[in-house]
Amino acid sequence: MTDQLAYPDVVNYAVPFFIAAILVELTWIVIKRRGGRYETRDALTSLLMGAGNVAAGIALGFVAYGFYVWLWDYSLFNLGTGWLVVALCFVLDDLRYYWYHRIAHRSRWVWAEHVNHHSSQHYNLSTALRQSWTGTFTGMWLLRAPLILLGFHPAMVIFVGGINLIYQFWIHTEAITRMPRWFEAVMNTPSHHRVHHGRNARYLDANYAGVFIIWDRMFGTFVPEYDGEKVDYGLVHNLGTFNPLRVAFHEWFAMFRDMARPGLSLRQRLAYALAPPGWSHDGSREMTEALKARHLSEYPEDRGTPGF
Amino acid sequence: MPLSILLPLVVGGIAGIVILLHLLGLSRQLIIADEQTALAAWNDEFGNDAAISATTCHDGHAALISTASGGQGIVFSMGADTTARYLAGAQVARTPRGLRVDLPDFTAPHIYLTLEPVEAARWQPIIGEIA
Repeated sequence: MTDQLAYPDVVNYAVPFFIAAILVELTWIVIKRRGGRYETRDALTSLLMGAGNVAAGIALGFVAYGFYVWLWDYSLFNLGTGWLVVALCFVLDDLRYYWYHRIAHRSRWVWAEHVNHHSSQHYNLSTALRQSWTGTFTGMWLLRAPLILLGFHPAMVIFVGGINLIYQFWIHTEAITRMPRWFEAVMNTPSHHRVHHGRNARYLDANYAGVFIIWDRMFGTFVPEYDGEKVDYGLVHNLGTFNPLRVAFHEWFAMFRDMARPGLSLRQRLAYALAPPGWSHDGSREMTEALKARHLSEYPEDRGTPGF
Repeated sequence: MPLSILLPLVVGGIAGIVILLHLLGLSRQLIIADEQTALAAWNDEFGNDAAISATTCHDGHAALISTASGGQGIVFSMGADTTARYLAGAQVARTPRGLRVDLPDFTAPHIYLTLEPVEAARWQPIIGEIA
């Protein structure tokens, strides 16, 4: 019976909640005159990126899911459908998400699809919906294979992935400053995720967690929000367009253009695709490490503070 | 969720939120009020090549920048924020409202500048010389 297992498509069912929550956050900001900013074209782009992500999922979701169903025949165990199994699947899938997300920031091949999520200079609930259209092309869905081989049914893996995505919606806000200390210690929160969206040198490449911030604490990538430096949202070099097509594809375009430069070795061409964002064959661009080093050379007093 | 429900929900939700934001006055573009603001906006994007001078246009939506390395650039409003680009390779053309700057940049292909006629006449050769 497990082979016919079906779970609700929770992300689609959450759409009315997403809309309502954005309206609540906007009302809060307008009334309180604090807790974030909205701008019309920025929000429209974010919402269109979200709609495009849903459309891409409908159009291309069969690629990953077809692979999972095929792989299910080779799973080592069948762990069943009990709620404890679902809970374990959720935790392990969140670990999978941490590594996907870390790779997405440290390899340009995956950054090319993930960059659009960071392309807004705003940080509000609409930013949460600024999702990729091109995730299928990176092959990162392969990272779920171990879960299926361990005996978690593909439908369950997709289901917990949806719950994970919904959890991450509410943390894209400036309206909530800090949660209770115990919660901040274990869970990903608005404060932790604001850091992740920062373009300040201090905050680059930190807090990759989806639901549980413990992964960042375990793997050494946790940076707390520092009261001495407000988070500046967006990309190191911000976009000059709100066009969703350009937002969705700009890094793919730039990456393939770099790979096609004349006179490069095969190793250099591959590095343009696989090395961290900012890598260049002649060292003319700055990666995270160089940006942090430059900041410290200008502000040596920041050495030893969070992120440095 | 059936597409017959999801689609109207998404379209209606996006339209409703966008109309509300516009009616709340949140479509206003940022004004680059003075030279200091323009310099800061440039340095925010290209901190390794500091801006040394800036000329803002009359409506405050853009500023021409000269950098320490001798480069020329432009800072311009992106909604409620700003971004910046070097002007190397730029093509410039007159429009009824000012100038259109075309950049060889997929992420900022066109910048439309609203300029007074005198201002447009002054800015065009500065940008055009670079092209």
